[in-house]
Order: sequence, then structure tokens, then C-alpha cells
Amino acid sequence: MHWAKQLLLVDRRIIFLLVFLGALIPIIRPIGLGVQISPPVEAVFDAVERLRPGDAILLSFDYGPSDGPELDPMANAILRHCHKKGVKVVGISLFPLGGVDMGIARLNELATELQAQDGTDWVNLGYKDGGQAAMKAMGEDIAAVFPTDVNGVAYRDLPLTRDIRAYRDMKLAISLATSVLGEWWINLVNAQFGIPVAVGTTAVSAPRYYAYMEAQQAIGVIGGMKGASEYEELVERAYPELKGLSRTATMGMDVQSIVHVIIIFFILFGNLMFLLTRRVKEA
Amino acid sequence: MHLQLPGFGEWVAAFLTLCIFSFLYRDNVLYRIAESIFAGISFGYYVGLAKLNTLDPNLFRPLLGDFGAHWSLLIPFALGLLLYVRYIPKLAWISNWSLAVYIGYYIGVNLLQKLHGDILPQARGTMIPLTGGWGAVLGGIIVFVGVVTVLIYFFFSSPHRGPLKPAARLGIYFLMISFGASFGYTVMGRVSLLIGRLTFLVHDWARPLLLSLMGG
Repeated sequence: MHWAKQLLLVDRRIIFLLVFLGALIPIIRPIGLGVQISPPVEAVFDAVERLRPGDAILLSFDYGPSDGPELDPMANAILRHCHKKGVKVVGISLFPLGGVDMGIARLNELATELQAQDGTDWVNLGYKDGGQAAMKAMGEDIAAVFPTDVNGVAYRDLPLTRDIRAYRDMKLAISLATSVLGEWWINLVNAQFGIPVAVGTTAVSAPRYYAYMEAQQAIGVIGGMKGASEYEELVERAYPELKGLSRTATMGMDVQSIVHVIIIFFILFGNLMFLLTRRVKEA
Repeated sequence: MHLQLPGFGEWVAAFLTLCIFSFLYRDNVLYRIAESIFAGISFGYYVGLAKLNTLDPNLFRPLLGDFGAHWSLLIPFALGLLLYVRYIPKLAWISNWSLAVYIGYYIGVNLLQKLHGDILPQARGTMIPLTGGWGAVLGGIIVFVGVVTVLIYFFFSSPHRGPLKPAARLGIYFLMISFGASFGYTVMGRVSLLIGRLTFLVHDWARPLLLSLMGG
């Protein structure tokens, strides 16, 4: 058998092992590669930066634990940013498999890190079934959809939400979304109720959201771990006092860079070997 | 320095993560067990979540608290229950009433949502004025040509002959570039999942374990 053909038949587990090592080593010893800021992420950062202290935003945790590595760092960075700006956060979740727990974890982390107060700096209204039905109903009366927060306190009794009746009383909606939920925030909530919408999403879902941004239906897009690392960088540049807090997405980008090099190498290698074997066949 | 062994939760999570990773070597019973545990827990979690976060605050508590003001909630509750008579063959037809309401509502919502939130704004986004710098003008032209040629490619009511042939072929190239970008993002997303699990294994499980053992 020709040597190139033999190389094409290399056991895929060897490639798995190389990718595994390429991912493991930077996790143990981070390299600290730089982060380049892209306009879609900067647009989201600027939208939050333009808000005034006391303004409220809606942050929807529309993802589960499997998307945590990409979306948790976004949530942390956005929450830190809002807290430093004095912007109030109304947290909800419309994603069934873990969304409410992701919201609880992130908001509790904010409370621990920056001493943000539940009920005044942020509230967590929990999860609701129904997707589009819940989104539409919130356009008229949020309390009808979320009568209480996750702790069972009535919506009207929470200091933060006392004057927030519907979307019109908030300045911005950010959905941290997997699946189709982020699209619904744009093509239903933004289109019908006019509230500006930004989406932070997994890398797999990111390409479709750029079309919404180009059509000015979304003010910005934070795509995958790369987008999260950019937001972390922007927040740290604007608020140097936050230096020292975890930057998990930025650390993850070291791994992304190395694993991508390995994958690109194997794509080129595989194609080269394939061409060589074809040439041998033709000869 | 206070050294603490990983907790029970970390051990369970690490074990199940390694069980799932073992599939990369070959299919095995540990992988199957972890997969079944995940499916079972996910279902149980969803049932509990629906009761605690939706049924309790939006149905049971209002009904028990002030029945007179909230009696109308019994109507959607009854429609929801009727879905389950599908399991009684003689009465299965009744569940169609619930499905009719459900489907009717979502068709109405989706019709408006797609037209008002997708088709019209996206069409408007394609027809942008050719102003600004040369980069913006070129970008606008590329978007317009891309949309038109891809639509031609998906127009199957007449054969792709004559002037339609090169246009459809150009549409394929636009699609290929789009698939390539999507694939690149998909790789990044999958690597992110690997990063998440490895970060957990290293920082939350292996490191405390090793430090505790070495410290002891």
C-alpha cells in the first residue's frame, strides 16, 4: 500500500488524543493570547454603556448547562458591566433544561463578587413554559407571566420591578440563547414591541444572527466563546477595578487557538494525502 | 493553605464525564449508563421545573388563593388535561380539541412573526442604498447578488438552463461559503464544550485531589 494511503488510514483516536492534549495543556498552563474586538460585540457593550444608572434591562438565560462554557462567561461579563453602570437587571429564563439554574448561579455569583443585592440590583423571575406565548404576554403584563420571583416573592412587592409593567419600561433585552429562542426575541419581541434586542449565543448558532444585525433588527451579537472573551476584555478595559475576576472565555481562547491549528493541520494533511493517492491511482 | 478533597458532587460529575469521554475510544457499557442517567434526569428535571415554575405560580396558587378571580384558568387547565386522553383509545378524539387550540394559537403567532419579524425586515435589509464608502457599496452589492442567486438556485419550478444556470451556480458558491462559515463556528462551539469539561476536570476535580494528596 502506498505510504500516503496508509497515512490516510491513521486511527482517528490518535487525532482525538492530539486534540485532547492540545486542549489540556493550555488549561493547565494558560498562554495569554491577545483578544481582538469585533464590531458586533462592541455594539452590545456600547448599548449597555449608554444606559444611565437606574435604567433596567431584561436578561434572559435561554440556555442550559451544555452551553455554559460559552454563555456563562458572557453572562458574568454583562452582569459585572451592568452592576458597575448601576443598571438594574431583570433575569428570566425561557429555556427548559437548566435555564433557571444558570440564571440563579450567575446572579448569585454576581452577588458574591460585587455585593449586588437581590431585589434592588437584580431580580430573578425564574423559568416559564410557553416560549412565544410567554414573550407575547410579557409585552402587556410581565406580572401575569411571572407572578413571583424564584424565591416566591410577589412581582409587585419587589422594589426593582414595582414600576416595570412591560417591555416598554426597560431599555434593552439581552437573550443569552441556544436554539431558536434568540431569534424569537428578535423577530417577535423586537419586531412587535420595539424594545432593542441583543443576543449572546453559542458559536453554532451565531452565523444566523449576523443577518439580523445587518438588517438592524438586533443591536449586536456576542458569538460563542470568542465573543464572550471580547466582552470580558471590553469590560476590563472600561473598569480596571474588575481586574482579577475570572476571565474564563479569554482563557478558553488559548485552547481554541491551539486546537484550531491542530484541526487545520489535519484538514490540510488529509487533503494533501488524498491528492497524492489519487495521483498514484491515475499513474 | 487549607486543602479540601473534591466533594461528592464533583466525584459524580467527574465520573460521568469520563464515562462519556470513554465513547471516544469505543462504545461501552459505562457510556450507555451515563447516557441513560442523563436522559432520565433531564426528563425528571423538566417535570419538576414545569410544576414548580409554571403550574404552581400560574395555576394552582391563583386558583387556591382566589378562585372567584381566577376560575377562567380552569379552561386552559382542562384543555391541557384533555391532551392526555390520547392514551384512552375510545376517547382519543377529544384530545384533538386541545391540539386545535394549540395549533391555532401558534399558527397565528408564527404567521405574523415570520412576516413582520423575518421576511419584511430581511428583504428591506437586502435592498440597502448604495451609499457610504466603497466597502459599504461593495458589501451591499454582494449581499444583494447573494440573496438573488441563492433564491434562483432554490427555484425548482423551471430547469436551471440559459441565464439561470450561471446564476444558480453562483448561488451554490454563496451557499458553500455560508456552510463553511457555519462549520467553522460549529467546530469552535464543540471545542468550547470540550474546554468546559476539561476545565472542570482539571480545576474542580483533579487539582484539589492532587493538592490534597500531596499536602497529606
